[in-house]
Amino acid sequence: MKTAGSAFSKKISTKWEIPTLLRALFVIVLLYLFLTGVELLGGGFKNLGKDLVDGLFEGVSNPVGGLFVGLLATVLVQSSSVSTSVIVGLVAAGVVNTGDAVPMIMGANLGTTVTNTLASLGHVRHDVEFKRAFAAATVHDLFNILAVIVFLPIELITGYLSSTASWLTDTLIGSSGSDFKSPLKQAVKLPAKWVKELLSSMGSQGDIKGVLMIVIGLLFIFVSLAFITKNMRLLVADRVETAINHALGAGSGIVAMLLGAIITISVQSSSITTSVLVPLAASGVLTLGNIYPITLGANVGTTVTALLASLATGSPAAVTVAIVHTLFNISGIIVFYPFQKLRQIPINLANRLSDIAVEHRSLALSYTLIAFVIVPLLGVLILR
Amino acid sequence: MVMSFFRRPEESGLENIEAQVQRMVNDARHTFDLALSAVTGGAVETVANEIRTTDRQINATEIEIRRALVVHASVHGGIDTPEVLTFMNMIKDIERIGDYNKNIFDLAEEGVSFTESPELESIISIRDEVSSRISLMGEILSLRDEDRARIYIERGDKLRRDFDQRVTDLVHSTEAAVTAVPRALLFRFLKRVTAHSSNVVSAVIMPVDQLDYFDESEDTRS
Repeated sequence: MKTAGSAFSKKISTKWEIPTLLRALFVIVLLYLFLTGVELLGGGFKNLGKDLVDGLFEGVSNPVGGLFVGLLATVLVQSSSVSTSVIVGLVAAGVVNTGDAVPMIMGANLGTTVTNTLASLGHVRHDVEFKRAFAAATVHDLFNILAVIVFLPIELITGYLSSTASWLTDTLIGSSGSDFKSPLKQAVKLPAKWVKELLSSMGSQGDIKGVLMIVIGLLFIFVSLAFITKNMRLLVADRVETAINHALGAGSGIVAMLLGAIITISVQSSSITTSVLVPLAASGVLTLGNIYPITLGANVGTTVTALLASLATGSPAAVTVAIVHTLFNISGIIVFYPFQKLRQIPINLANRLSDIAVEHRSLALSYTLIAFVIVPLLGVLILR
Repeated sequence: MVMSFFRRPEESGLENIEAQVQRMVNDARHTFDLALSAVTGGAVETVANEIRTTDRQINATEIEIRRALVVHASVHGGIDTPEVLTFMNMIKDIERIGDYNKNIFDLAEEGVSFTESPELESIISIRDEVSSRISLMGEILSLRDEDRARIYIERGDKLRRDFDQRVTDLVHSTEAAVTAVPRALLFRFLKRVTAHSSNVVSAVIMPVDQLDYFDESEDTRS
């Protein structure tokens, strides 16, 4: 009998595996790079001329325009952690005020669900699997849409989210009128200063220097978060697997929600958490009822990145905006989870949408394009 | 349960799954021993409940393992796909062993007993060998012992040929159906148990695409 590489034969790995401790240290370095990126981004915008900045962000003073900008930016970078960190950096730089940032944050929340919706399209060839997968993905979209429908008008009329977040900022870190002494900001000042000095030594100044700082800052944020996510996923994969296995047996929504939040904080990506759920839903291992609270937890967990970024800015306004993100998601949970009838709304809508998608597969792709690209793009162009 | 996330898991996902597979193997051996004892003079009523409960346990474990495999594949991506597919295949074979053990017990419930049979000694000897083979199956799997796996499969081939011959002899015999048919069924079920246990062990030496492919003629094996 010829052996041609059994999956079970004793494996002798020739590939060097990064030791766990080294990988964890690498993540800490990446986190430092991320925070430095946020600092550079804010500094870059401060360096730009007022007219240029006003021109760039004139569309976001319209709340719907701001919503679409946040959505589109998140879809483009495929990460709400990146986009919300950027928004926090803009607020810290004084480029965008808290009131304009809130709809952008809500839009970022919407945009992050495109990843798992795309993941569900991988099951498009099998009716039953596709129905389950698409429902699992779109329940996230629909929860976020419903939360925006409820809380954006409330926020515009009452300022509920921003004033509550502002109060929390005052309580936690002191006066909201001036910068606070953030140890994280002190830590990232030096590398940011080196980059600024390097750019100055290369002859750049004014708007050019500002643009270069923004580009470098965005690069730092994007690359560091991508690698943090990749490495954290490897570091915590076994724990995530154990947690999901436990959640399958648990039955409790609150436990599932907490696990969703903890997993997302660990891997620094709600898209990873919710995308892992899609094949589990497709295979029938998890029901939509199981997935819904994990998704809600992931929504809250992903706000930690922006909170961390805001603490590095030293700007109370930035911290307020980051807290708005968390508060928005928690408020959505308070409305759309505890009460059975309201809890069923996004679930029933997701089931209905997936029924339609199974009958008309092209609609599933159209939905994704229209909801995440065409409508926000048109919205941004028209409302500018 | 939430705090369990912060504790280092004692076993990896696949190690945990393998532990569950070993439990399935132990249960399969247990139901085999009970079923064979029932048809070779043991008390039928006393073991009926235990066989059914253990068989349900085997089925429940299979479902749990399948679920755990899907979770593992979703979390870790495609990196362990061959092992995941191999486990999926393997637990199906172990579950089938449990089913055939129940089929053997069904003979006892129908009143079949081989205590008066001229082949009783042979049946007892086969019983002992197949029972220890089920246990050995689990051992070879956990040690990933390729040499012992080959020897195991070769011996399995001989046993299957022997069972086939016995069934063929009974088909052509002039013996009364009331004695011939139960023995034919017994040897048929024993052949299937032997084949499925060889299938399980084949995971140690065969690639995923060639698992089980010695159930057919040995000529088709590469």
